Amino acid sequence: MQPAMELVNLYKSIGKKQIIKNLSFSIYPGEVFGFLGPNGAGKTTTIRMMVGLMKITSGDVKINGTSVKNDFKGAIQHVGAIVENPEMYPFMNGWKNLKHYARMMNGITDERIREVVSLVGLEKAMKEKVGKYSLGMRQRMGIAQALLHRPSVLILDEPTNGLDPAGIREIRQYIRRLAEQEQVAVIVSSHLLSEIELMCDRISIIKNGELVTVEEVQNSTEKDERVEVWLEVEPVDKAKAVIEKHHELEVVVHHDKLSMSVTKETIPEIVKGLVQDQVNVYEVTTKSSSLEDKFFDVIGENTIA
Amino acid sequence: MLNFLSLLKNEQVKLYSRFSTWSMYIILASIIILAGMITAIFGDVDTEGYGNDWRAELQAENEQLQAEMEESEFAIHENSINKNNYYLEQDIKPQPYDAWAFTSEFSMLGFMLSLFMVIIASGLIAGEFRWGTIKLLFIRPISRTKIWLSKYITIMITTLSMFVFMFLFAMILGSLLFGINGLSPSMVQLSGNEWEQVNIVKEILSQYGLILVELVIMATLAFMISSLFRNSAMAIGLTIFLMFAGASVVIYLSEYDWAKFILFANIDLQPYFGPGQPMIEGMTLTFSVIVLLTYYVVFLLASWFAFTKRDVAGH
Repeated sequence: MQPAMELVNLYKSIGKKQIIKNLSFSIYPGEVFGFLGPNGAGKTTTIRMMVGLMKITSGDVKINGTSVKNDFKGAIQHVGAIVENPEMYPFMNGWKNLKHYARMMNGITDERIREVVSLVGLEKAMKEKVGKYSLGMRQRMGIAQALLHRPSVLILDEPTNGLDPAGIREIRQYIRRLAEQEQVAVIVSSHLLSEIELMCDRISIIKNGELVTVEEVQNSTEKDERVEVWLEVEPVDKAKAVIEKHHELEVVVHHDKLSMSVTKETIPEIVKGLVQDQVNVYEVTTKSSSLEDKFFDVIGENTIA
Repeated sequence: MLNFLSLLKNEQVKLYSRFSTWSMYIILASIIILAGMITAIFGDVDTEGYGNDWRAELQAENEQLQAEMEESEFAIHENSINKNNYYLEQDIKPQPYDAWAFTSEFSMLGFMLSLFMVIIASGLIAGEFRWGTIKLLFIRPISRTKIWLSKYITIMITTLSMFVFMFLFAMILGSLLFGINGLSPSMVQLSGNEWEQVNIVKEILSQYGLILVELVIMATLAFMISSLFRNSAMAIGLTIFLMFAGASVVIYLSEYDWAKFILFANIDLQPYFGPGQPMIEGMTLTFSVIVLLTYYVVFLLASWFAFTKRDVAGH
C-alpha cells in the first residue's frame, strides 16, 4: 500500500544548529498516527516542514507519492492541517471564516461547508464572531477548515490542547470516525501520551529532533503475551509458596507485594489458587504497557526542562 | 484566474469586515462635510456670480480694494486686484464658486489619504502574522506569490475607491451647497508668476494624480516594511516617521550631490508642474520619475522576496 505521507531522511538546520535529524517514517490511509515528544523536541518544526511553511534542509516529505518540495501545490491539495493553535479572523463570524478558506480551493460548495459544520457541531455558532468563541469551539473550527476539501491526510498539532475531558473525548471520536469511515490518514501531535494513546494506531516518539521509536498501540493485550502482574497479598511468604507450587514462575517479593511475569490467561488461575489456600488478596494490577515505559524513559531525562 | 479573483474577494471581505476601514471613509466624509459647512456659513465665496455688467462690477471692486489698502497697511489685496485685472484684460467673465471649485480644494486631503493607505498596507501582511492566519493561507494549493499579489492589488483598489469616494462625496455635497456650473468649468489661478485660465476638471485630475504618486510610493514602502518585519506597528511608525522627517533630512543633506537620489527629494512632483522649485537645483521631471520608479521596483522586490521565501516560524 502506498503511504499517505512519507518522511524521507528529513533534516532541518537553522544556522549551525540541527533541529531535525534524519527523520523517516510513513503513515498509511485509515491510520491514526501519534507524534509524541516533550515540548521543544521538534514536533511543530516537523509539521511546518510537512505543510511547506518551513523549507526542508535535506530529505523530503511525500504526500500520496508527490513531493512537497518539488510540487507543493500537487502535494498540499491532499492535506488539511492545524498548525499550533487553530487561528481564525476574530472580527469575522464563523461562516465568513470558513467561506474565506473555501474560496482558496476549487469546488467547495456551501453545501459542503454546512456538512463540515454539522460534523463538528458548530451550527449554532456560525453567526457569531470567532473572537467570542471558546478554545474548544476554535479547535473545532480548526478541524472544520482542515476538512473542507476532503483531504486524504489530516495533520492536527496538539488538537487536545486546552480542551476539557469531554472535549478531548469528542475530538477523539471525530478522529477515529474519519480514519475508519473515510480512510483519512491522521497525524496527531502531543506532548502527553495519555491524551492521544486512546485514539492512535501507532505512536512515534521523538526527542531532540531524532526519532526514538515507532510503536503499535495495543488496546487490549493479546492472550498469549506476557504481562507483569503485581499482587498485594497477606501473608506474603505463604502466597509466594502457593503460586510457585501451582505454576512454574519466578516470583519476586517487594515488601508486601509480589511481582511476576505471566500470560494474561493464567491470572485468574493464580488468584483462584490463592483464595483456595486462604491467602487474602487485596489488589491485582498489571503494569502499564511498554510504550509508557519508553515514553517516560525519553522524557524523564528532561522533566525539569 | 478564477482563483486570483477569489483571493481578491477574500481580501476585500477581510478589509471591510473591520470597523477601522469604514471609519476611514467616515473621517473623510466628516472632514468634507465640515469644510462645506464652514465655507457655506462663514466663507466669503461668491456663489451668485456677476451680472451682465460684470466689467463695471470688477472695476468698482478693484477701486474699493485699493482704497482699503491705502487706509490700512494690514489689508493686502494685491492678489485679488491682479486677478480681477487678468479677468478684465482677457475679457473672461468670472465664474461663481461651485461644486468643482469646492472639490478642487480637497487635494489637501492627500496627506490624510496617505496616512490611511499606510495603515491599510501595513496591516494587510502583518495582520495575518499577528492573527496567526498566515499559516492557514500558506497551506492552500495557491502560490505565495499569488497571495502576495492579491494583497498588493488590494491596496491599489482601496486607494482608488477612497479617491473616487472623496471626489464623488465632495462633488455631491458641493452641488447641494453651492450649485454646479456646467461640466467643463474653468478658473483663473496663479501659475508660477503668471495668472492663467485653467480647466477645473483637468486641474483636479492633475492635482489628484500627483497625490496618487506619493500615496502609491508611501503605501508600497509600508507594505515592504510590513513584509520584512511582519509587524504593523513597526511599518506604520517607520513610514510615518519617514513621511515627516524625509523632507528635513533632504534639506539637511542638500549640500551633498548624492542627496538628490534620496526618495524624499523626488516624491513631490508638484514643483515641476506649478509654482515652486525642486528641492535640489538641477533636478528634472525625468530624473525624479526614474528615481521614483527605481525605489518603487526595489520596494516591491524586497516585499515579494520577504513574503514568499522566508520560513513561517513560531512566535
